[in-house]
Amino acid sequence: MAQRNSLTFFDPEHVERPIPGRPWRAILFGALGATALLTAGWEAFWRSKGLIPGDYKNSDALWAEQRRKAVGEATAIVGSSRILFDVDLDIWEELSGVRPVQLALEGTSPRAFLKDLADDPSFNGFVIVGVTTVLFFTQEGGLRESALKFHREETLSQRADHLLSMPLEQFFAFIDDQSRPRRQVQIWPFPLREGMLPRFDPRKLEIMTADRNTEMWARVVNDPAYQAEAKAQWEIGFRIFAPPPGPNGEPPAPMPPEAVGAVIAGVKIDIDKIRARGGEVAFMRLPYGGGFAPVEDNGFPRAQFWDRLLRETNSVGVAWQDHAELQGYELPEWSHLSPREAERYTRALVPIFYERLEAEGRKTGKPASRPAE
Amino acid sequence: MLFNSLTFVVFFAIVVALHNAPLPWRVKKINLLIASLIFYGAWSPPFVLLLLLSTVVDWFAARWIAGAKTQSRRRLFLLISLAGNLGMLSYFKYGGFLLENFTALMNAAGVAYKAPEWNIILPVGISFYTFQTLAYTLDVYLKRAAPTKSLLDFALFVTFFPQLVAGPIVRPSQLVPQFAEPKQASRDQFYWGLALIAIGLFEKVVLADSFLAPAADAAFGADKALHPLDAWTGVLAFSGQIFFDFSGYSTTAIGAALCLGFALPNNFLYPYAAIGFSDFWRRWHISLSTWLRDYLYIPLGGNQKGRLRTYFNLMVTMLLGGLWHGASWTFVVWGGLHGLYLAAERFLRETVPEQEWFKSLWFKAAMAVLTYFLINITWVFFRAQDFGEASTMLASMFGLAVKPERVLYYNEIIPALVVVAGMVISHWRMRATSLEAAVAATPRWLIASVLAAMLFMLVITQGSDSAFIYFQF
Repeated sequence: MAQRNSLTFFDPEHVERPIPGRPWRAILFGALGATALLTAGWEAFWRSKGLIPGDYKNSDALWAEQRRKAVGEATAIVGSSRILFDVDLDIWEELSGVRPVQLALEGTSPRAFLKDLADDPSFNGFVIVGVTTVLFFTQEGGLRESALKFHREETLSQRADHLLSMPLEQFFAFIDDQSRPRRQVQIWPFPLREGMLPRFDPRKLEIMTADRNTEMWARVVNDPAYQAEAKAQWEIGFRIFAPPPGPNGEPPAPMPPEAVGAVIAGVKIDIDKIRARGGEVAFMRLPYGGGFAPVEDNGFPRAQFWDRLLRETNSVGVAWQDHAELQGYELPEWSHLSPREAERYTRALVPIFYERLEAEGRKTGKPASRPAE
Repeated sequence: MLFNSLTFVVFFAIVVALHNAPLPWRVKKINLLIASLIFYGAWSPPFVLLLLLSTVVDWFAARWIAGAKTQSRRRLFLLISLAGNLGMLSYFKYGGFLLENFTALMNAAGVAYKAPEWNIILPVGISFYTFQTLAYTLDVYLKRAAPTKSLLDFALFVTFFPQLVAGPIVRPSQLVPQFAEPKQASRDQFYWGLALIAIGLFEKVVLADSFLAPAADAAFGADKALHPLDAWTGVLAFSGQIFFDFSGYSTTAIGAALCLGFALPNNFLYPYAAIGFSDFWRRWHISLSTWLRDYLYIPLGGNQKGRLRTYFNLMVTMLLGGLWHGASWTFVVWGGLHGLYLAAERFLRETVPEQEWFKSLWFKAAMAVLTYFLINITWVFFRAQDFGEASTMLASMFGLAVKPERVLYYNEIIPALVVVAGMVISHWRMRATSLEAAVAATPRWLIASVLAAMLFMLVITQGSDSAFIYFQF
C-alpha cells in the first residue's frame, strides 16, 4: 500500500510524495537484470543481421568533430555520398601522405559546405569537391545541411553527449539508426494507402569509422535481397524527384543556362576566397551506373554543367569518365563502390588526381616529402 | 543539459554521489547550486548570468518589501521585482513579437516603417524561472510568506536543476523549507525516484518522440489540405506527444528530486480523462494553472465580483496563459479558446439545473469525450505555425478542405493511434486514483516486468536527439 494518500490537487503550501510500499530493491535489481538480458539478446540479433561494433553513427556531432579539424592547411573533402563511400582515406593517406578530413554528407550538395570553408578565415587549405551533378546544381545544401547549423550552435552538453556515445558505439553493434524501433516501424512493409506514392527512404548503406572514413555496408554487397531493396529505393527516388513534364506532356525543360551560370558564379566567389588565402579547390566526379546514368547524363549534360564548372571557376577536375583506370568498377546498388572496389579505385585515383594538379602548377596540399615514396 | 542524454546520466550520478557523501549540509547545498548552474550553463553559459541576476534582484526586492515602512515603498520594491522579471521576459521572449506587431500596425496606418532585425535567442526555461521567482516576491508582498533568511537557500530554490527549465513551477513555501534541514533520500525514496525517472524518460523518448512525433510532424508539416484521417491522426498524435513530452519531463524532474530527498508536486493528473474544462485545468500543467489562479485570476477578483466580471477574469487569465506559452497570436487564440470553454462551462453549471443522470457513467464518459474533442481543437492552434496552417488543418479535420491529400503512411498512423488509444484508456482508468496507489496494488513481478520493458525500450531507442517541447516556452 502507498504510505500516504497521493496529492490530488496542487497544494501551494505543502508538498509530500508518497512512496508505494513495495520491495523496491528486489524490483529494481530484477528489472535491471531483465533489461541486461534483453539487451544482450537484442545485440546478438543485430549482429546476426550484419551490424558491427565500431560502426559509428553518421551524426551531425561526428561531422562537427571532423569540421573542427578542417583548419589551417588541412585537406578537406566536401561532397555527397559518392565521394564519402568511394574514397578510402587510409589508401589516400598511404599514397599521398595526406589524410583528408572527410566532410561529405549523403544526399547533400557540397555548395553550402564549400561556402562555410570559404568564409572561415582559419582555413587556408585544400578542398576536394565531389560533384554529383543532380545534387550539386539543383540545391545549395540538402538532406544533411543541418550539420552546419549543428556545428555552429553545438552546446557543451551536445559535445559531451557525443564524447560519451563514442565508446558505447565502439562496443555495441545495435547502436545504429537502423535498429531503432522508430526506424523499424518506418520501414515495415505496410500496404500503401490509395493514391500515395511509396516513400523514398534509402536503407542503411554504409559503415563509418570515428574519423568518418566510410565504406559500403557488407550486407549491401552480399545480400541480393537487400541490394535489390536498395536499388528499389533509388527507383522510387527517380520517380519522386523527376522534374515535371511540360504542360502538354513534353520532356521536362532542362535547367536554364542562366541558372547554371548563377550557381557557378556563387561557387567561384567561394573558390576565390579560399585561393586568396593561399588555399586551393579541385573537383571530382565519381562512378555511377544503372538507373543513375540516364538521370545524370541526360539531365545534366557534361558540356553544359561539368565542363562549364571547371572552365568558369578555373579549376582542375577529375571525372571518372575521362580515365580508363577509373572505369569498370562494381557498383552494387548503382551509385557507390563496394569496399574492395573503393580501395582499388582510390589507388587508381590518387596518382591521377595529384598528377593533374601538378601538371597545371596548382597547389596540392601535400607535405614536401611523401612517406610512401 | 537534456534529461534524455548520456551527459545527464553521468552528471546525475556525480550529483547523487556528492549528495550522499559525508559532507556538511551547507556544502551539499553549495554542490547542488553549482550542479544546477552547470546543468543550465551546458546549453549556453552566458545565460547563467541572467539566471543569477533574476535571483539576486528578487532576493533583495523581497527583503526590501518586508522591511519597508510604508505601503508606497512596498509597492515600489514590488515594481522593481516585476520590472526586472517581466522586463527580462518581455525583452527576450516578446521583443520580436512586439516589434512585428508594431511594424504591422504602423504599416496599416500608412506609415512606412521597417523594423530592425531582431535576432535575440530565447534563454531556455526563462518563463518558468521568472514565474517561480515572481511568486516569491508576490508572496512576500501579499504577506503570505516571510522573506527567506538564506541567500543560498533562495538561490537553490530558483536554480534547483530538476525543475529549473520546465517546471513544475514550485512555490517558495513548497521548496525553500526543504533546504533548511539536511535531506537525503531513504532507500525506498531513492529507488522509487529512479523508477519515476525511467517512467518519465520512457514517456518522452519512446512514446512522444518515437511513436507520436512522426505522425504529428508529418501532418502539421505537410503545408497542404489533408484527408480527414491524416488531419485527425496528426492532431491526436500531437495531443499525445505534448502530454508525454511535458508529463515525461515533470515525472523525470520529480524522480530526480526524490533521489536527492526532495519532494516536488505533481504537474499532471491524467488530463485526458477530464470531464469539463475546470477539471482539465486541475489535471493539466497544474503548477501553471494554480500559479495563474493565485497570482492573476484571484487578484483580478476571481468569481467574487459578479458573473460578467468572472467571465472577464477567466478570459484575461487564459489569454495571458496562452501568451505565456509563446510570443504568437496562435497561442493567444489557444488560451482564448480555453477561456471561452471555461466561461461556457461555468455558465452552463449556473443555468442548467442538476439532473440525476448527470451522475451516470455514460454521461460522464460522453462529457469526457467531448472535452477531449474540444481540447484537440485547441491543440491545432498550439501546434500550427500560423493561422493559415491552423485553418487548413481545421478544414481538413472536418472534411471541408479543397483537394485534400493523404500524406501519412500506415507506418505513422497505426503506432500513433494505438498509443493515443492506450493513453486515453489509461487516463480514464486512472482518473480517480494515482500512480503511487496503482503501483502499491500491483504484484511485484509485474512492476519489475513493466520497468524492464520500459528500460529495454529506452536502451534500444538509443535516446532521442530532440529537446523537450516546453523548453521553448
